[in-house]
Amino acid sequence: MGKAKLPVNGGSGYYEIRLESIGGLGANLCGKMLGELGVKYLGLNSSSFSSYGSEKTGTPVKGFIRYCDKDREIRVHSPVISPNLLVVFHQALLKDESVLEGCGENTEIIIGLDGGGDNIMGRIPTGIKACYVVNAQQIAMETHSRINVVMLGAMAKVMGFAELEDVNQICEDTLGKKYPDALQGNLEGIRRGYEEIRELAGSVSEYSPGPEGKACKGHKSGEDASGWGYGTAPIGGINPNFGSSVVSDLSPSRQGYIPVFIKERCINCGLCDSTCPDMVFQFAPGKYKDREMMVNKGLDYYHCKGCLRCVEVCPVNALVRGLEAEHPHKEYFLPNQDLVRTPDYYVETGADGYITSESFLTEKRMGGGEV
Amino acid sequence: MEKQIVEYASGNEMAAIAIRQIGYDLMGYYPITPSTQIAEGLDTMKAEGRTDLIMIAAEGEHSAAGICYGAAVGGGRVINATSANGLLYAIEQFPVQSGTRYPMVMNVACRTISGPLSIKGDHSDIMFMLNAGWPILFAHSVQEVYDFNIIALKLAETVRLPVIVAFDGFFTSHQKRRCMRFEHKHAVRDFLGPKKEEYPFLDLEHPITVGSYMNEPDLINNRYQLHLAMKEADEILPEIFGEYGKLSGREYQKVEGYCHEDAETILLLLGSSYDTSLEAIDKLRKAGRKAGAVTIHVMRPFPAEEIYDYCKNASNILVADRQDSYGAGGGNLTLEVRAAMQKYGSRVKIKSLVYGLGGKDFFAEDAVKMIQWAEDTGTPDFEYYGVTEGKEPEEDKENISENFFEPLTPERTRIGAIQVSEDGAGKAQVSGGSLNATAAMPKRLAPGHGACPGCGIPVNLNLLLRAIEDPVVLLFQTGCGMIVTTSYPRTSFKVPYLHNLFQNGAATLSGLAEICYRKQKKGEIPPGDIIFIMVSGDGGMDIGMGSALGTALRGHRLILFEYDNGGYMNTGYQLSYSTPKGARSSTSHVGKAQYGKTFFHKDMPQIMAATGIPYVATMVESNPVDFIKKAAKAAFYAKTTGTAYVKALSACPLNWNDKPSTERKVIEAAVDCCYFPLYEVEKGKTSLNYDPEKMGKKIPVIDWLAMMGRTKHLKKEAYAGVVEELQKEVDRRFEALRARAENPLL
Repeated sequence: MGKAKLPVNGGSGYYEIRLESIGGLGANLCGKMLGELGVKYLGLNSSSFSSYGSEKTGTPVKGFIRYCDKDREIRVHSPVISPNLLVVFHQALLKDESVLEGCGENTEIIIGLDGGGDNIMGRIPTGIKACYVVNAQQIAMETHSRINVVMLGAMAKVMGFAELEDVNQICEDTLGKKYPDALQGNLEGIRRGYEEIRELAGSVSEYSPGPEGKACKGHKSGEDASGWGYGTAPIGGINPNFGSSVVSDLSPSRQGYIPVFIKERCINCGLCDSTCPDMVFQFAPGKYKDREMMVNKGLDYYHCKGCLRCVEVCPVNALVRGLEAEHPHKEYFLPNQDLVRTPDYYVETGADGYITSESFLTEKRMGGGEV
Repeated sequence: MEKQIVEYASGNEMAAIAIRQIGYDLMGYYPITPSTQIAEGLDTMKAEGRTDLIMIAAEGEHSAAGICYGAAVGGGRVINATSANGLLYAIEQFPVQSGTRYPMVMNVACRTISGPLSIKGDHSDIMFMLNAGWPILFAHSVQEVYDFNIIALKLAETVRLPVIVAFDGFFTSHQKRRCMRFEHKHAVRDFLGPKKEEYPFLDLEHPITVGSYMNEPDLINNRYQLHLAMKEADEILPEIFGEYGKLSGREYQKVEGYCHEDAETILLLLGSSYDTSLEAIDKLRKAGRKAGAVTIHVMRPFPAEEIYDYCKNASNILVADRQDSYGAGGGNLTLEVRAAMQKYGSRVKIKSLVYGLGGKDFFAEDAVKMIQWAEDTGTPDFEYYGVTEGKEPEEDKENISENFFEPLTPERTRIGAIQVSEDGAGKAQVSGGSLNATAAMPKRLAPGHGACPGCGIPVNLNLLLRAIEDPVVLLFQTGCGMIVTTSYPRTSFKVPYLHNLFQNGAATLSGLAEICYRKQKKGEIPPGDIIFIMVSGDGGMDIGMGSALGTALRGHRLILFEYDNGGYMNTGYQLSYSTPKGARSSTSHVGKAQYGKTFFHKDMPQIMAATGIPYVATMVESNPVDFIKKAAKAAFYAKTTGTAYVKALSACPLNWNDKPSTERKVIEAAVDCCYFPLYEVEKGKTSLNYDPEKMGKKIPVIDWLAMMGRTKHLKKEAYAGVVEELQKEVDRRFEALRARAENPLL
């Protein structure tokens, strides 16, 4: 106790962490462990919370942790704007510019890679303290742990004031009693995260946007693309922009896999269309075996969340599971054909969900053992 | 002082710990964000055998308040927790409780009230309780949530009034902090002492009447007694605070201040913002500015004298309200502070800002600006802080309000893929409706909604709507389906859409449909069939059942569509009445003392069938052609006859805890084990559409349960009895259906 020396921000006196993640990767639990770590093993005071209402799988979620000296009260309740440590659980999140908001000369960034090479999907800001990467998804898969513990290990290394054994201890406290079977794998995930994190070589700015590097707009309050405020928004919260959710690019929801369409096998039965929750399949009048019928023209990958329901129901294996990394140029990629104008696709960020409870979800994911 | 230990916990967690230590008898509750974790935490403890609290999950907050009232009358120690619209839905019960003088404690994790719906924190809910006759303690920190829960019960039983412990939703309810709690529960129990009852209701030898009918001149006397009790609360609180201070080392006052004694400008605010503002005060003091901050721990009885004492030396006061008493020139805190200062003859300048509505973050910099606002002479007395005017689209830029899709005119949806007609026996007959042909139906729902990968809700909606070739109007009750589709400033709907609260969708749609029919009759809108559809799920047929039954009994021409995902998924999967018996949920944990949900799933189609509406049907995505036919029939009856109720079992990969990709198989298994039988009740006559036994596909119910993480624990030998009971009930229901199908009189 009392051993940690905190590299705090000059002004605030806090060491501040922001986690940028997607619901389902376990950032919420990670934040909780970090908070407990401070109070229980680092002799610090800490506070932690998540962006509220976004525990749905696939939705962006933010976690906030503050450390300060033990005797100091943590009075602020607001989110972390200028973090000392920014942790991006999945590199696809970098497509959203708001993820990197508030990075400055004191900021260190850790990015979780998905095993698809070092090609980072977004721009890394210049003028930050350092940028690190770790193959989080791969390590999680290999150790049967989850991305959150890999990131935890990586963070311990970068923070410098938490020993690996302290992090192991908090992991044991959190998981050991309830899920003894999962413990070993998670400890291994922490260790490998700690050991395998590496600084991006050279100047970080040399990393250019990845293959899908189109700049994306985040949704910041008061700055939405709608331009709506009290002077311009329709009264009563009325929304006349029917179907406008189409502007959301949902590809970051995918967790590595996509349905791959093998058109020559397709019998146009329509089962895929009947099981897709995301209106991905683009059927249009056409000909199949000389008969006039509705024909599957392609998939709208902007809105595919990678659930693979379609792969499961396809009776002729015209839809098969593929690693997205192996299909950078998706064949039969057909944006929604009902569109009368092309939207600027951008990623949804911020809590737009309703699910706020963590107790059950935490258990479930541990029990289910999914990465 | 009693021994205490460190906890790292949130406000909700600390409330649950206090409740367990106090040893309450009963909790009546209904899940509502952000208060739900209190019940979830207690249920976890219950499953582990750490508390014997009776926990009753009501079918709505109004009933939860009723359960609490009954239990309090019976002499139990009673606890509740709620928020926002839950509080408002139950509100008529609260003056009953205080007027008849039955103590209890209710936690309110404050949240903004609808509509438009938001789940985030502000004080618009709690201020509705100012006139309810309940003392209201307001905790601005996690520590205080714990302490005030203990203090509240002491106060409640001393003055015989129900007491609220209020705190900020999310900011306090969900943020984790280091705090202290008593190591042993006896410290808490000794402090409270045993509950005393002056008139024990269950003393059969001395029967009493509670809830008299009272005329003038008596009623005013009863109210005066209530007034006196509140006065007593005002007088006794310092004593209780003092006693608790001796026990814990934390002695509270009704009002708390920081650098207020010599402050020229005081910022007065309620809840967690007070803590945040202290960072600003420190900064300002360093810069030589005489600023201070004040908050109150007691909203009722209002500590007018103490407020005056804390603020009397200031030249400027800025009261920041996280709600507005619209039209009054300030939120309720402002109004009360103004009255308090005036009462004691102060002429200090009081300005008011409404801020932070709907959980809008409050930063220390905001507090600095507010102090500045108070000191500037040119600023108005009352204003909103942090609003955005918005900008008109620039001419050379793309106009955002330009639509992405063509409107779905009747011409576009009449694809001619499905036909419904009446046969000789007066029943609807469907022809067409193949998956391929109905793929031509333009989707009423745009992509880009935020449902989880593999979610069943859009799947079921699309199957329903692809069968309906007339224009549709949709109404959603609160639930996942609504949350994920209408996240402002965007919407997934391409057709007219309305949301109303969880318990009131069917009634609202009744009104909407009737006005449409009237307008058509008068020629104000074009004639032609429009299908009105109410969409409910996430347990909406628990709290909304009364409204749905009323609508069915009146027979409005509309469809009630239920996506049954078997739980309150939108709030993190608490049990609903349609959760399978034995299933794990966040309010039916599995542990050594509890096996999951304790009662059977509700048979909603049979309840609806009993209303005598022309069409009731169940459908599943694993049988899409049957689904489409039933949807077309429902629309036919809604068009021609009256109310149709159709229900689909809807997959929730997140909370069923299974794979998104294989949900259709899980649904299929639910049908094959007869848990979710496919049938219709058409004009009172039942027909089974699929008999797994006859098809040689029947499986035991456990085979289905084993496919989902929420129920796979039931495979264990220890739960064989639960599974057997469920199997029996499923078989009994199916046999009853079969008998009805075979005998038209049933």
